[in-house]
Formats: sequence, structure tokens, C-alpha cells
Amino acid sequence: MKKSILIADLATASSLGFAQTFPVTVDNCGEPLTFSAPPKRAVVHDLNMTEMAFALNLQDNMVGVTGITGWYKTGPEFKATLGKIPELAPKYPTLENLLSVNPDFFFAGWYYGMKPGGEVTPATLAQHRVKTLVLTESCIHLNKQRPAASMDLLYGDFTRLGTVFGKAAQATSMVAQWKSRLAKLPAPAVGGETRVFLYDSGEDKPFTAGKFAIPTAMIAAAGGRNIMADMDTSWGTTAWETVAARNPQFLVLLDYQDGNGVTKLLSFLKAHPAMKETDAVKQGSYVALRYSELTPGPANIEAIEKIAAALQNRSRQ
Amino acid sequence: MTGRAFPFAWLGGSLLVMLLALTSVTKGSSPVPLRDVLSAVAGPLAPRLGLRPVEVTVQRIVQELRLPRALLAAMVGAGLAMVGALLQTATRNDLADPFLFGLSSGASAGAVAVITTTGEWLGIWTLPLAALAGGLLSALAVLLMVNRSRNEGPEKLVLAGLATSFVFGALTHYLVFAGDQRAAHSVLFWSLGGLGLARWDNLALAMAGVGLLALYAARRRHALDGLLAGDETAQSLGLRPDRLRAEIFLVSAMATACFVSLTGVIGFVGLMVPHLVRPLCGALHTRLLAACAMAGAALLLASDIACRTLLSPQELPIGIVTAAVGALFVIALVLRTPPAP
Repeated sequence: MKKSILIADLATASSLGFAQTFPVTVDNCGEPLTFSAPPKRAVVHDLNMTEMAFALNLQDNMVGVTGITGWYKTGPEFKATLGKIPELAPKYPTLENLLSVNPDFFFAGWYYGMKPGGEVTPATLAQHRVKTLVLTESCIHLNKQRPAASMDLLYGDFTRLGTVFGKAAQATSMVAQWKSRLAKLPAPAVGGETRVFLYDSGEDKPFTAGKFAIPTAMIAAAGGRNIMADMDTSWGTTAWETVAARNPQFLVLLDYQDGNGVTKLLSFLKAHPAMKETDAVKQGSYVALRYSELTPGPANIEAIEKIAAALQNRSRQ
Repeated sequence: MTGRAFPFAWLGGSLLVMLLALTSVTKGSSPVPLRDVLSAVAGPLAPRLGLRPVEVTVQRIVQELRLPRALLAAMVGAGLAMVGALLQTATRNDLADPFLFGLSSGASAGAVAVITTTGEWLGIWTLPLAALAGGLLSALAVLLMVNRSRNEGPEKLVLAGLATSFVFGALTHYLVFAGDQRAAHSVLFWSLGGLGLARWDNLALAMAGVGLLALYAARRRHALDGLLAGDETAQSLGLRPDRLRAEIFLVSAMATACFVSLTGVIGFVGLMVPHLVRPLCGALHTRLLAACAMAGAALLLASDIACRTLLSPQELPIGIVTAAVGALFVIALVLRTPPAP
């Protein structure tokens, strides 16, 4: 709590026109992480975190990204923004991949580039004088006493990243813009929130987002309710039976951008004996979102607007 | 091989291991030219040897990642092969291998339990210690079962190991299932192995395993040879086969637990190497174990080079490489035509 007040103070101080002073301390999965100066040689893992870094224009302080092309197709726009920053590893990096660019900072998360007990963890990197900022959504993998997902997963991480790089003011003003965009969204339809199911993948059992994953907060912000919000994990698998029994009215489908969009997911649902009877599948009401829209990152905001618009359309019909 | 040729063969083996270790240090997921690697290995002596000094980055990669990694590969390879040979003697079973006895599933259950429940409460040592504890626990379970069924020969040891393996396997799968599904990725590391955790400060654990095996082999080499002749002959020589078997098993279990806690389960090395070297050096243990250590070190170093270069800059789990080589080896074993009667 103290730390967040510190961040807030800093943010206010900078927005009043004072330059941000170092050292700064940010919360890192419940542990304090202190920086005496902004990192100069940062490596960022995964598309969502890289987009946060880009939104803060951190390119000049970045020496590499990891875990992007091994999973997704990226557009030419992304490549242009990346500029000359190399991708050190297409999927999870090895310690050697990272150390080869002599970094002083790594922004990643548990199962977002790091595995507990693996060779790349905040502890192993600390031995090489690399500080690791951990994605807050992923703290749940090591500490089960976390609050349920809220949009603070994005706001908090974005502000922390900004603070670390001496751009707290920029980060806070961007978060304020995001909040005002979300405040403009229409109130949930009369008759309660729409029951929403997020379908990521899996045929024998569906892989979806639970209590601690950001889509639960996004769906709530858009005026819906994630029917799996009581699932005690961040991302995890559940059973088709459970999903069908809760009769979702709307689907969020993950578009893996493999060329055929979400048609595969949809045709599977239409053929599934239990799922084909749910309101969402019968009415065909869904929205398709990309990976970076469904993991903590700036793309969340537009994604929430997309979900909200689709929910509005649905209730008008 | 005649008596005199053996020291030369061993010397040749040592040279091969050193060559492989050097190659291993020059290869990795990021390319570093040979000259820079040599300079980094030489450290402060580099300028005197006429090598230009290298950047800190290269020095760190070579000195703090690749050198301990090569040493770990050599030690774990040597150790696993020795354990394989010891267990094949103890059980008189050609298929005995360090992981047949539930050791691997015990170690991975320990690691997975920590990953899915408590997290890294002891820092970087959490996982190795949890795996070590799990491995020792499973060994204890096997030993207790065997102890209850004394004087029933080596088959019981195999069965007890198999049962323990299933129990801990079930526990691991339960933990993965009940916990966060993404923890399954970490289970993959423990079941396929990898040398990425090698650091100077944890090499001591591997060294302890190898040291224990070497010490035990040196003290008991004659008794081990006696065991080869069968239980009755061994008894007539004044040996106690059941006690010896329990001893071998305990030593093997402790050593294997040390290795598994750092590298996960690297299969087939312990199974394959004793079979490869026995035709060359005979079945007596002084030579057999020395040859196993050498060949095991060479095999694991070579496999690690392969797993880092095949998909660079990604790393293949080393267990995939050793399993592929091992499968070919077993197929060859099956297809080998028996010598004419």
C-alpha cells in the first residue's frame, strides 16, 4: 500500500511539472524493486508488454524483444515501430539469449517468458545484475493471495513501467485517457449483465480466462460478466459441461491469426452437442480478439470498446 | 581389449571428453567466435597468450553460463552412466537404469509440488532442494518395500521401483491437474531434462553425486564383482547380496537425486552407456565404471551440443536428443543377430 502511495505521489509530482527524481521503488509481485536510474538496455518479452513499452516510446532504451514471432504474426506497422531492435528469441529466451545483449532490465511474467524454477527467473537474472519487472497478472502463479482481476492490472503495470523509465507523468496521463474512454461506454443493458464466455482453445476441454486473468476485468468493463469468473486460476481449462450449463449469451473468441480467423472455433462450437444449444452459439453472437488484446497491454482498451459495442448490438436485436 | 591397452583407451577417452567440452563452450544459443571464446576462457591470461580481450557480455556468457554447463554435462553424464552400471549389476537386469526406480518421478513430484503450491520460497535453491527431497523420498519408499521382502532376489527391487514410479507419477499429474494448467510447462522441463540451470554455485551438488559414486565403487569394487557371479556364489565368497543390493540402491538413489535436481530427467544415458562399453572393457567393475564415466560424459556433452545447435536460438530439451539416440540403440540391440551357437 505504501508503495502505491509513493508511485501516486511521484506521478502527481511529475504531472505538476516537476521532473521525476530517482531512485524510484515499484511494487513487484509484493516485493519492492528499486531503480537508481532509468534502465538503458531493456529487453521486453511478448507482444502485450512490448506494446506497453512502445506506448511509452521506450525504443531508445531497448536492446531486444523476445517471444513474438514464434507465436504470432505481426503487421508491418509493428515491425516499423520495432525499428532496429532485434528479436533475441522467437519463443521463451534462454539466459544466454538475454545476456548476449548485456541487458540491465527485463520486463516479462511467469509463463510470459519465465517459468518457475527455470533458467530465466528474476533470481537468476539478478545474479547477472539484470532487474526483472514482473507482469502483475502473472504474480498469481507464485502467490495465491492476489486480488481478483481488475483493469488495474493494466493501469498499474503501465504506470510502474513508466515510473521505472522516468516517464511516470506520461504513463499516468495515458491511463487517465484510457479511464475516460471506458467511462464513456454505455451502462449495461437492463436486465443484468450479459453472460460472456471466453474461448481460447482446446477441444476436449476449453482453455479460458478465470478470476485472475485480465479478460474477466475487460468483460466487466464492457458491461458483461465472465461466466468463468469464479474459476480460481488466471488462465486455465474448465469443462464443456460447466460452460454449457451456464448458458453463455455472448462469446469472446481468440483469433490466433493463422489465416482462417475464428471459423474453426465457431464450427467446433456449432457441432458440440452441449454448446450448440447455448444462446451465444444459436444466435451466433461473438467478437474475435487478438492475443495482445486479451493480455495486459494498451490494446485492451480498444478491445473493451469492441466487446461493449457488440454487446450493445446484441441487446438491440 | 587387453590389459595394457586399457589405460591408453582411457587416455583417448579423456582427450575426447576435453575436446567435446571445448566444443560445448564454443557453441550456444548465441553465436560467439572461437577466438573470443578462447580469450574469455583464458580470462586475465588472455593478453599474455596473444588473444585480444573480449567484451564483458561474452565473458559472462562463456565464464558464467557455458563453462559450468559443460562441466555439469560431463559430471551428470558420467554419474548417470555409473549409476546405470551399478544398478544393472545389482538387479542383474539389462534394462535397469537410474530412472526405473521411481527416482525421476519422485524428483519431479517434489519440483512440481513446489511450483504449484509454495513458489520459490528459498530463491534459486528452492527447486533443486525440492527435487532432491522428492527423489530421496521415493528411494526411501523403494528401500522400505524391498526391506520387507528380503531374500527374494532382485526382481522385487524392480517391482518396488515400478510401483513407486507410478505412485509419484500419479501425484505429479494430480498436482498439475489441480493446480494452474500452465504449470504443465515446468513439468516438461523435469521430464525431458536440460542443462540450463548450471551455475558455478550449484555444481557442487553434481560433484557430490559423482564423488559419492566414485568413492563407493572404489571401496566395494571386489564385492561388486562377486555379485556378478550370482547370489549363491557371492554368499560362498562371504558377501551378503541383499545388503549389498540395498547399499548400491541407496548410493545410486542419492547420486541420481543430486543429478535430477539440477537437470531434470535425462533418460537412456544410464541404460545405454554400460551396454556400449561392456564389450570393450569387460564386466569387472574397476574398468567398467571408469569406462562408463568417460563414455557417459562424452555422450551427454555431445547431446547438449546437439540440443543447443539444432534449433538455435531455441534450445531443445536434452531428453529428446538422448531418447532419440537411445531408441536407435535399443533397436540395434533388438536386431543384433545372436552369435552362431
